[in-house]
Amino acid sequence: MTGSPDLWELGAEELAQRIRRREVSAVEALESALARTARVEPLVHAYLELFEETARESARAVDRRLAAGEDPGPLAGVPVALKDNLNLAGHRLTCASHILEGYVAPYTATAVQRLLDAGAVVLGRANMDEFAMGSSCENSAWRPTRNPWDLGTVPGGSSGGPAAAVAAGSVALGFGSDTGGSIRQPAALCGVVGVKPTYGLVSRYGLVAFASSTDQIGPIARGVRDAALGLQVIAGPDANDSTSARRPVGDLLAGIEDGVAGLRVGVLAEIEAPAPVTAPAAAGPSAGGEGAAGAAEAGEMAVAFQEALGALERAGAELVPVSVPSLGAAIAVYYVIATSEASANLARFDGVRYGRRAAGAPSLAEVYVRSRSEGFGAEVKRRIMLGTFALSSGYYEAYYGKARAVLARMRRELAAALERADVLVTPTTPSAAFRLGEKLDDPLAMYLSDIFTTPASLVGLPAVAVPSGLDARGLPLSLQIMGRPFEDATVFRAARAFERQVGWQVAPRFRGAEAGAG
Amino acid sequence: MALTSEEVRKIASLARLRFSPADEATMAGQLGHIVDYIDQLQRWDPGRGEAASGPRAAAPPVAAGDPAVAAVTPAPAAAPASVAAGEAPEAEDRPGPCLPRESFLANAPAALDGFLLVPEVKLAGE
Repeated sequence: MTGSPDLWELGAEELAQRIRRREVSAVEALESALARTARVEPLVHAYLELFEETARESARAVDRRLAAGEDPGPLAGVPVALKDNLNLAGHRLTCASHILEGYVAPYTATAVQRLLDAGAVVLGRANMDEFAMGSSCENSAWRPTRNPWDLGTVPGGSSGGPAAAVAAGSVALGFGSDTGGSIRQPAALCGVVGVKPTYGLVSRYGLVAFASSTDQIGPIARGVRDAALGLQVIAGPDANDSTSARRPVGDLLAGIEDGVAGLRVGVLAEIEAPAPVTAPAAAGPSAGGEGAAGAAEAGEMAVAFQEALGALERAGAELVPVSVPSLGAAIAVYYVIATSEASANLARFDGVRYGRRAAGAPSLAEVYVRSRSEGFGAEVKRRIMLGTFALSSGYYEAYYGKARAVLARMRRELAAALERADVLVTPTTPSAAFRLGEKLDDPLAMYLSDIFTTPASLVGLPAVAVPSGLDARGLPLSLQIMGRPFEDATVFRAARAFERQVGWQVAPRFRGAEAGAG
Repeated sequence: MALTSEEVRKIASLARLRFSPADEATMAGQLGHIVDYIDQLQRWDPGRGEAASGPRAAAPPVAAGDPAVAAVTPAPAAAPASVAAGEAPEAEDRPGPCLPRESFLANAPAALDGFLLVPEVKLAGE
């Protein structure tokens, strides 16, 4: 790179500082982001809608406040992307589903309001798997998003839109929701940082619910400091969400540079020796795809993970062996509990109060059935069916009841591991980005992408996905760092130390585009 | 565990969904495959009961397809153990401001005189 970077290349923290010091204006920052977006969006398709007009109004308002001597806040003039399941009053929201066609948000989510109050400029609503159900962004009812590293691969999901937007340089910060890995997995596949905060740290008021016992809103950024800043802004108690924790958040950036000297990093025995693949009957975690190629990839992932452990050790961390045997049950537990909750949460989409109503239904019951059957996509129907099955008479104890019992064991095992260690590390995903369409016809193979991310969701732990390197194909790999509940700051400190040690400064090259946009 | 088309139709009916015969067969195959996988739960020993869970964590979600779940806002459900007792108290049971009716109805597929409009609840002869 020669000369000073364009404004779109700056991280959120630096951009906000420069705007607050009035070295550049919020309007200039926004125009740079819009120009970058115009260049990369035709390749990546990260957005469902750009809010150019209201974004320009917001940027001008930030500049007016600065001119009046006011401080617009820690994200002054920083363009951000919102996943299409976060309400912003007056703007459309669809959860990437036909059933919410025409819905206009009547109010603003608490997390989004806090972004606005901190001076952020919302650039647009970003693509996702329908109702946050998927690991590839291919379940969007509108179109798939592509991975900026290789346009023939998926960006991950369900927050694939925000992750791809951040990786492509459209925005410095994206915000998504993570129910079983939906922020961390796409962040991993797109080579950016993704955060699933402690359950209860961020209000879900205004987030369209998927599985309420695990849903959390979190940031996606190109660096750990920016991710911590993004979480700092949205975290904290909210009277509108009774599950938001009534406790101070603390300063997530204060000790972030303190390093990991003496920090005990727990390494799961179940990950060091991953079991061979899996579906449908295996009880151990999956380590990659099937066959020889899958075995080679699993070997590559294992080597990369060992290198990541070495980097943490060189940074001064103490590696501690721990064991969480129930990790092998995580996918089964998650897909019973999350689909059960989803089958209840999605009952509200019935063609009566909002969204799409099927035409010509002669009775109210037919309105429900036809609107839902026409409005939901295949994966959403599959999960509603699975959840309904798991809760139905005769199967409830065997599936939902048993899943909760095994979850209690997993919770005890993770708590014990986090007594021996301060943080736990795993790969974020069992493989790097896979090809578009590769897993679309095999729902179970797609579910297995979540093997490492579901435990922190089920137990409510904070977890950060941080880039760890590139695989042989030049696609990003990622390390997941989990911590104790409400010790998000410790997780950020470890992630930042790892980021510094790895020296991650790689940008996507838009492989597959006729003309590079990087 | 193979699911029959009849079982798929029964679950679909509970979930207020309907499938074509072809989609029904596909769903039976896919659900059966997934249920085979989650059946591994039966092999896991949960150990010492559910002691770590709070009372709300044990409450199952509302039955699928129940259109009485009306809120636009997220439905609070099970609280995970990470939120220790006392950190997430129940909201005060006190009336407060809510979404104005006109804002809510602006998204309704059909409304009349401030109310949601729907077809007959029960057809003649039902």
